[in-house]
Amino acid sequence: MNTIYFLVQQTMFFSIPLLIVALGGMFSERSGVVNIALEGIMIVGAFSGILFINTFQAALPGQPILLLAILVAALSGMLISLTHAYASVNMKANQVISGTAINMFAPAFAIYVARMLRTVQQIPFMNQFRIASVPVLGQIPVVGDLFFTNTYLTTYLGFIILVLSWFVLYNTRFGLRLRSCGEHPQAADSVGINVYQIRYAGVLISGALAGIGGLVFVIPTSTNFNATVSGYGFLALAVLIFGQWKPSRILVAAFFFGLMKTIAAAYSGIPFLATLGVPNDVYKMIPYLTTLVVLAFTSKTSQAPRAAGVPYDKGSR
Amino acid sequence: MKKKMALLLILIMTLSLAACGSPAPAPAPSEEPAGETEAAAEGVSDDGTFELALITDIGTIDDKSFNQGSWEGLRDYAVDNGISHKYYQPSEKSTDAYLSAIELAVRGGAKVIVTPGFLFEEPIFIAQDQYPDTHFILIDGVPHNEDYTEFRTEPNVVGVLYAEEQAGFLAGYAAVKDGSRSLGFMGGMAVPAVVRFGYGFVQGAEYAAEELGLAAGDVTINYHYTGGFDATPEVQTLAASWYQSGVDTIFACGGAVGNSVMAAAEQAGAKVVGVDIDQSGESETVITSAMKGLGASVYSTLEAFYAGSFPGGETIVMDASNDGVALPMATSRFESFSQADYDAIFGMLVNDSDGIASSMLKDNDVDSAGAIPTEIVTVTLVN
Repeated sequence: MNTIYFLVQQTMFFSIPLLIVALGGMFSERSGVVNIALEGIMIVGAFSGILFINTFQAALPGQPILLLAILVAALSGMLISLTHAYASVNMKANQVISGTAINMFAPAFAIYVARMLRTVQQIPFMNQFRIASVPVLGQIPVVGDLFFTNTYLTTYLGFIILVLSWFVLYNTRFGLRLRSCGEHPQAADSVGINVYQIRYAGVLISGALAGIGGLVFVIPTSTNFNATVSGYGFLALAVLIFGQWKPSRILVAAFFFGLMKTIAAAYSGIPFLATLGVPNDVYKMIPYLTTLVVLAFTSKTSQAPRAAGVPYDKGSR
Repeated sequence: MKKKMALLLILIMTLSLAACGSPAPAPAPSEEPAGETEAAAEGVSDDGTFELALITDIGTIDDKSFNQGSWEGLRDYAVDNGISHKYYQPSEKSTDAYLSAIELAVRGGAKVIVTPGFLFEEPIFIAQDQYPDTHFILIDGVPHNEDYTEFRTEPNVVGVLYAEEQAGFLAGYAAVKDGSRSLGFMGGMAVPAVVRFGYGFVQGAEYAAEELGLAAGDVTINYHYTGGFDATPEVQTLAASWYQSGVDTIFACGGAVGNSVMAAAEQAGAKVVGVDIDQSGESETVITSAMKGLGASVYSTLEAFYAGSFPGGETIVMDASNDGVALPMATSRFESFSQADYDAIFGMLVNDSDGIASSMLKDNDVDSAGAIPTEIVTVTLVN
């Protein structure tokens, strides 16, 4: 039983950032702008968030500073995604290229600024954010052990973002307009929706969420930030596609990837798996193999937003 | 509209002023070294030169590892004897940048230059001929040329190496003596220093188990190289899974790998053994550290220099007998392993009783940790 608790708790550290970032990607792509800059935005968000924590951790207590850092990460993510929005909406540039530019720019920027400020590229932080057991809820048998012990505020934030995303996308006027801009912007424009505005909003939301995701990714797993998020931005893209651009499926996909990653890293400590005698390479391959297989089978019925990646031109109605 | 703009401007200006002001009262996160930069400046001699110099490698002077340890030794000696001292930071990690930092130090009047880290092997190889009147102390390395075809140590250079296996031995011994039965070793890349630490750790655990008269298989060690010196979620998860499966102490031996292991240990309420310097300050979970006596070796070499007996042209191996390796007993968080226990085993290493130190297996003696002949300790290699 302890092994299961452990696996679930550990899976959260992988899954929650993937979930948040993939949801961010969803907002952008459903508005019609492909966002492969998620990796770069994550780095920028993690960088500014950790830098903020590093600067103020002596002056502020644990959880408030985490919330402020999340805000900082979201803002910096929005700022960098603004360049992507400008290039792909106003300039009608190739969205893959401007995304790639951000991916290349972000780690260099993080290293450069960190070295300017601190002479080393690693930014250390004190992890005072872990919650050993949530009051009251942590006492509940089974459920408490699964979800309310050894956790972070960010885990719940991830679920809140999920619910909000679902609500905004399917139950608000904005969500409907966002989806319509991703499917058929000309039709949306014909009924008076400002396509540019909606696409800007979509990209900015994705920037904010990817920035948060970057910070959420770094905090539980290290005690410093070293200008990388280890390719999790790209993995989030895979989660987005695997999740068919729908919040509920993205949730499933994120947890599937997270669990596979956890097992790959932790199998030697799990008695059942350790005694199976399967080479460790197999465990390491599983997440990627399953991605290949699942994508190969689902690509035919893939429901990508139709207008994703196509710059909107008013004149070509 | 204009009024609003003016208001906004005022707001921004006050906010930015406040932002500038606020970090000042907050203490800097790494407060210890903050004063040291000034200490360096205070030690100016009358003619504005610095007799003792240290050049940092890729880390900073407060890296809680190599640079800091070496600098503390240099500073202590300089302060004790009233000698001017300063450190220089190269602009980047390259032989050229290191050489120009050395040039800067020489122009600054340096008689002795301390260079911590094996990255200085090449720059020192070149500098020893360029500046024959300056003395160099190369920590953790031996001067050689770019492609390792020529090893040469001139009389103005001394190379200092460490018997890491003895430090690892002490850590493994202490951990088992302190009651740990299920241990882990998590090294960074399998470079010689890390391998020596690991082998020593296994042999120390075995030695303690023999002393305690444990049965075969009573002590287990999971043995793993992460393949990098970075903190990653994979390392954190692996460490967490070991703790979860009953491992109580992990020897985290590889730079930032330790940060991920500590993150996992804090979560599991388990123990970590630190490496290189006393890491007890980094996390409450660090019970002890397999230390290299960086400061002590710098201090003693400087002492030799001023006594006119600089061991130039030689490579010194620092081990227990010359305080090159140690456990920081004052800051260790052992339950039962006492100072007396430590002194006993340390004394045996110093005297090489029963050939305990000389017969210890090093990195080139066996192919892998699994091949170390142990009777009680079971080593499980995790790939």
